[in-house]
Amino acid sequence: MSTAYALPKDLSRATVVNTASLIRIVALSLISGAAIASRLFAVINFESIIHEFDPWFNYRATRVLASKGFYEFWNWFDPTAWYPLGRVVGGTIYPGLMATSGVIYNVLHYFNLPVDIRNICVLLAPGFSALTAWATYMFTKELKDESAGLLAAAFIGIVPGYISRSVAGSYDNEAIAIFLLMFTFYLWIKALKAGSAFFGTCAAVFYFYMVAAWGGYAFITNMIPVHAMVLILMGRYSSRLYVAYSSWYAVGTLSSMQVPFVGFQPVRTSEHMAALGVFGLLQIIAFAQLVRSHVSSKQFNNLLFYGVIVLGVGGVGAVVGLTYAGWIAPWTGRFYSLWDTGYAKKYIPIIASVSEHQPTAWPSFFMDLQLLVFLFPAGVVLCFKELRDEHVFVIIYAIVASYFAGVMVRLMLTLTPCVCVASAIALSTLMDTYIDPVQPEADEDETAQSDAGDSVSGSSATGSISGAAPKKAKKLAAAAVAAPPSANPLAELVGAATGGPRMKKGVWGFDTRFTVLLHTFGMLAFFVMHCTYVTSSAYSSPSVVLASTSPDGSPHIIDDFREAYYWLRQNTKEDAVVMSWWDYGYQIAGMADRPTLVDNNTWNNTHIATVGKAMSSSEEVAYPILRAHDVDYVLVIFGGLLGYSGDDINKFLWMIRIAQGVWPEEVQEANYFTPGGEYRVDERASKIMKESLMYKMSYYRFTELYGANPAQDRVRQQTIPKPSPTLDYLDEAFTSENWIVRIYQVKKEDHLGRDIKSANAFEGGKKRKRGRPAVGRRRAMQ
Amino acid sequence: MRSFSLLTALVLGLSAFVRAKSSQGDDVLVILDPKLNRDDYSLFFGGLEKDGYSLTFRAPKDVKPKIIKDDVPSFSHVILFTPETKGYASDITPQSLIHLLSLSTNLLITSSPKQTLLTALSSEFSLIPAPPSSPLLSHFPARSDPPTLLPIPVPDPIDPKSEYADHPLAIPPICSPHTKAVWYEGTAWALGNNPLLFPILRAPKESFVSDASGDEGAEGVVDAAEKGGEGLWAGSSLAVAAGFQTREGARVVWVGGVEVFSDRLAAKEIAPGVPSGNTRFTRDIAAWAFQESLVLRISHISHHLASSPPLVGSNTTNLPTQYTTNDKLTYTAHISIYNPSSSTWTPHVSLPSPQMAFTMLDPHILTTLSHSPSHAGTYTTTFRAPDRHGVFKFVLDYRRKGWTWLKSEEKVAVVPPRHDGYPRFLSAAWPYYAGAVSTSVGFVLFVVVWLSGEGRETRKKAE
Repeated sequence: MSTAYALPKDLSRATVVNTASLIRIVALSLISGAAIASRLFAVINFESIIHEFDPWFNYRATRVLASKGFYEFWNWFDPTAWYPLGRVVGGTIYPGLMATSGVIYNVLHYFNLPVDIRNICVLLAPGFSALTAWATYMFTKELKDESAGLLAAAFIGIVPGYISRSVAGSYDNEAIAIFLLMFTFYLWIKALKAGSAFFGTCAAVFYFYMVAAWGGYAFITNMIPVHAMVLILMGRYSSRLYVAYSSWYAVGTLSSMQVPFVGFQPVRTSEHMAALGVFGLLQIIAFAQLVRSHVSSKQFNNLLFYGVIVLGVGGVGAVVGLTYAGWIAPWTGRFYSLWDTGYAKKYIPIIASVSEHQPTAWPSFFMDLQLLVFLFPAGVVLCFKELRDEHVFVIIYAIVASYFAGVMVRLMLTLTPCVCVASAIALSTLMDTYIDPVQPEADEDETAQSDAGDSVSGSSATGSISGAAPKKAKKLAAAAVAAPPSANPLAELVGAATGGPRMKKGVWGFDTRFTVLLHTFGMLAFFVMHCTYVTSSAYSSPSVVLASTSPDGSPHIIDDFREAYYWLRQNTKEDAVVMSWWDYGYQIAGMADRPTLVDNNTWNNTHIATVGKAMSSSEEVAYPILRAHDVDYVLVIFGGLLGYSGDDINKFLWMIRIAQGVWPEEVQEANYFTPGGEYRVDERASKIMKESLMYKMSYYRFTELYGANPAQDRVRQQTIPKPSPTLDYLDEAFTSENWIVRIYQVKKEDHLGRDIKSANAFEGGKKRKRGRPAVGRRRAMQ
Repeated sequence: MRSFSLLTALVLGLSAFVRAKSSQGDDVLVILDPKLNRDDYSLFFGGLEKDGYSLTFRAPKDVKPKIIKDDVPSFSHVILFTPETKGYASDITPQSLIHLLSLSTNLLITSSPKQTLLTALSSEFSLIPAPPSSPLLSHFPARSDPPTLLPIPVPDPIDPKSEYADHPLAIPPICSPHTKAVWYEGTAWALGNNPLLFPILRAPKESFVSDASGDEGAEGVVDAAEKGGEGLWAGSSLAVAAGFQTREGARVVWVGGVEVFSDRLAAKEIAPGVPSGNTRFTRDIAAWAFQESLVLRISHISHHLASSPPLVGSNTTNLPTQYTTNDKLTYTAHISIYNPSSSTWTPHVSLPSPQMAFTMLDPHILTTLSHSPSHAGTYTTTFRAPDRHGVFKFVLDYRRKGWTWLKSEEKVAVVPPRHDGYPRFLSAAWPYYAGAVSTSVGFVLFVVVWLSGEGRETRKKAE
C-alpha cells in the first residue's frame, strides 16, 4: 500500500477528530469574518447610511417599532404616505425584519449597550450573512460532508450575487430572508432524512419567520411541495416523507396565517394551492397504504385505479370551481410575468417599470457568480450520481431557481445559495479525489487511472479517458465518491494510510495531484479577487450618495439628494405635501419627513397614474390635479447637467405608460415621440413633450447656465433649445448643487380669482385686451 | 331674535351714530390728485376722521410716504382719489396696488370716464370698463341738470332671513336700509363673471354709456340695443360702484366717479326738501371697504368623539389627530361678527345655513351646521365617520358676496380599528368555533384511548 505523500503515523483517532473539528470551527469563524468584512466596503467608502429606497422605509418603520413598541407598530396608520389615502402600515408589511432589529435593539439596551438603531439597521445584513454562511454549511453537510459544507459557506460568504442585496446599509427584507431560506431548507432536509416531526415543526417555525420577513416565502411554499411531489412520483413515498411534510405544512400554514399581511392567502390564493394539494395527496397515499395492508392486491389495484380517477377529477374540479366562484384568487399578474416576460410590459407597466424586474442579462450571471457558473452544473450532475432524497431537492432547486433567475434580475438572489451548494459539492469532490493520498495498485489495469476524469470533467490534468473499461470505472468511482457523508475524511485518510481497502485505480504520484490542486487554488484565488473587486466597485454604493472622480483622480462625493431632502425638512411646513415619482417616496418620507403622494409600496396603481398624468400633462391640466391633492411641492430628479442617467426624464416614458393605462383618452405615449418615433428632448421634441410638466420642470432655466453656448443635456447628448421653458403654475423653490434634485412650489390660486397665467402676464406688465360685456348673459334687472 | 335685530341695527347702524374703528386698523392713506380740492370732500373725510380714522394725504407724484416699505404695508387702508391722474410716483403701479391687496390692505378706488392707469387695473378685477371718454348718461327722470349728473336709487338690502338672502344675485347688505337716492357723475362698468366681484350700486335701467356730449349720437346706442348683447353699454347690468373681496379677505371698492363723495352732491337735494343719500352711501361703502361691516371670523373650531365630551379649554393645538372609521364625530365652529360700534367681536347667531364637508379628495359627508341655542355663535353637527380610512379634512367654506369668506381646514386621520378593536365573538364564526372545539376534544379522546390501550397491552405483555 503506497501513498502519494508521507502521512504522520502516530496520531490517535481522538486527536484527528478534535483537530478536525477545531479547524472547522476556526474556518467557519474566519468565513463569517470575511463575509461581514467584505460587506463593510459601503461603510468605509461612504458612511454608515441606509441605502437606496426600500431600506429607508424599513428603517423608518423600525424606528417606530423601537420607540413605540410592537402593538403601536402593528396598529400604525401612516397618514403621511399615499396622501390623502394613508397607508395601514401594520397590515401591509412583512414585519420580520423590523421585529428582528427591534429585538436586537432591546436586548442590547437591556444590557446597557446604547447602540443607535441606525447602526443596528445598517449592520443587520452583514451580521445575517454570517448566519447564512453557517446555514449553508449545515445544509451542504447534509448533502455531502463537512469539507463541502465549508466550501459552500465560503462561497456564499463572498459571492457577489448575495452581497448585492446584503451590504451594510442595505436594510431590506432579503438581508435576513436568505438565511431563513437556507435554514428552513436545512431543517426540511433534516426532517425528511429522519422522518422527524420535531425537525418538521422546526422547519415550520422558521418558515413562519420567513413568511413574516419576505414576500419571497412563496418560493419555499412551492419548493417543498414540488420536492415532495417528485419524491412521490419517483416511488419514494415513505412514512418519513409523510411525517416531515405533514408537520411542516400544518404548523407552517397555521402560523403563517398569523402574519396580518398574509392572512387567509394560504388557503385562498393559487400560489399556495400546490402546498395544499400535495398535503391532501399525501393523506390519500397514506390512507391507500393503510388500505393496501388490509386488502388483497387485486382488489387494491382496482380500488387504486378508480380512486385515482375520482380523486384526480374531483380535486381539479374543486380547484377550478372554487377559483371560478371567487373563493380562490387566480394567479396574480406578478406571477404571470414569471412565465411571459412580455406580460408585465403589456398589462402591468408598474411592475415592468422596476429595473430589477427585467430579465437578467447574461454577463450579470458571470459578474455575480464567476467561477461558480461552471462549477454549478458539475455539482448538479454529481447530485444525480447519488440521488438520495436531499439530492433530488437540490436538483429541483437548481432547475427552478435557474429559470427564475433568467426571468428576473432580482431572483438571482434565490439562485445564488443553490449555486454555492452545488459548486461546493463539485469542488469538494475534486479536492477529495486529489488530496486523497492513496495510490492505486501498480499492477492493475492501467486504464483505470482515469477515474476522476469523468466526474470532474475538464478540471483534471490527468484526465485521459481510455474507455477500455468505462462501465467498471464508473461504478468504482461512484463507490469511491459515495463514502458515508457523515464520516470524517481525515479519519478515513489515516485509516487508509495504515492499511485500508485496496484501490484498483486512482491518481498516480504527487506531481499530478499538486498540479490540479495548484490550479484549483489559483481559480479560488481569482474568485476571491473578483468578489472583492465587484463588491467594492459595483455593489457598495448607497445610491443616496454618489461617488465620482475628479479629473485629477481624487474621489468626489455628490450629495445632492440629502442636500435637497434636508432643505425640504428645514424650509417647508411640517404637513407640506411633496409630489414626486414613486421611486423617491420612501426617501422623502425617511429623510425629509414630509407627506408624499406615492411611494415605493406601489399598492395603488390609480394614485400612481394620477401622479403620472400630472407629470405628463401640460401645466393647465396638471394644476387642478395638484391642487386637489393639496400638493405644495413637486420634486423632480434631473441628471442632464451631471450625466446622471437614472433621472426622471429617462423614467418619463413609464409615467406616461402608467398614466395611459388609466386615462387612455388623455395621455398617449405616441404623442411624446417625434414624428420619426424618436424620444427626444431637443428642438425636435414633440409639442406635447415640450409642454409636459416634467419636461418644463427638468429644463426650466437650464439654458441660462450655458450663456451663449448651446445647452447640452449630458445624459441624452442633445441640445436643449432656447429659450428655456417657462412655468406659470409653479415656482422654482430649490435646485441642488449639481441640479440633480429640483423642487418646485405649487402656486396658490390667484387672490383676485384670475387664472394664474394671466396673473403672471399682468405681473410681467403685459396689457390685457379690452373686454366687452358678456354675450347673452343677462343680469337681474333692479 | 331680538339680539339679531339689535345686531343688524348695530352692523348696518345709522350714520348718525359715532362709529368706532375698523377691525383692521385705522390709519388711512388718501392719495389725492392735486387738481381736486380737499375741502370739496370735507364731509366724507370729516366723517371718517370723526369715526376715529387718521388720514394721511399724499399727492400721486409724492415720493413719501411710501405705500409699501420693506414689503410691509405702511397703511391699513388706501383711498385713491385720482380719477384722472396720468402720472404716479414709482411706488404706485397696478402691480404694487395688487401686491398691496395680497398684504391685506383695503382699497377704495375712484375712476372716471378718462382712460388712465386705473382703467387697466380695473380689468384685473373682472370689471369691463366702458369705452374711453364715455360717461354714464340718463335722461330720466326729467330734470334741469345735465344728463351726465343722474340720481340713482339705492336698493334696500334684502333681509338676511328671507329666502332670497342666499340668492347669488342678491346684493349684500352693504348700504343702510332706506338710504335716499344718490347723485352720481362718472363712468360705469360691465361686470365679468368673477365670483369675487359684485355690484354695490347698479346703474339705472334708463341709463347708458355714450361719448356724445349731446343727444346726437343716440342712434348708435339704439342700434346696439336692437342688436342686444355685445356692445351694449346700457341698463342695470352696468354697475357704478362694485365691491371685490380677495381670497385672503382684502376688500376693494370701485366707484366710477369721485364726485359722489363731494360736499356739492351731498348737499344737493334729490327731491324738494329731501337731501341726497350721498353722505350715508359713501360712508357705508367706506365702512365695508375698511372692514367695519359684514366682517366675520371663525373664533375657533373643535371636533371630538360624540360619545366623549370635548376637553375643557380645547383649542386647535390639542384637538384629536385621529379617529377610527365609523366613529360618531361632533364638529363645532364658533363664529363671531365684528361690532364696529364697540370694536368688539360678538357671537354671530344668524349665519344662514353654514355647511361642513368631511373631505378626502371628494366630500364624503356634506352636512349643514345648526346653531346651538344654548351657546350663542356655536354651530355644530354630529355625524358618523365614513367606513374608509385616510386623511380627511373638516372643511368649512362659507362664501357669501360681501361677507368675509370663512374658511377652515382641519386635517385628521381616520384609521381602521386597532387589532383589538374588532368584535371578539361573531355568531357567523360558530362553525369555526365548533370545529376547533371538536378537534380538541377528539384529540384528547384519542390520547386517552391510545394511552390506555397501550397500557393494557404492555400490562398484558408484562403478565
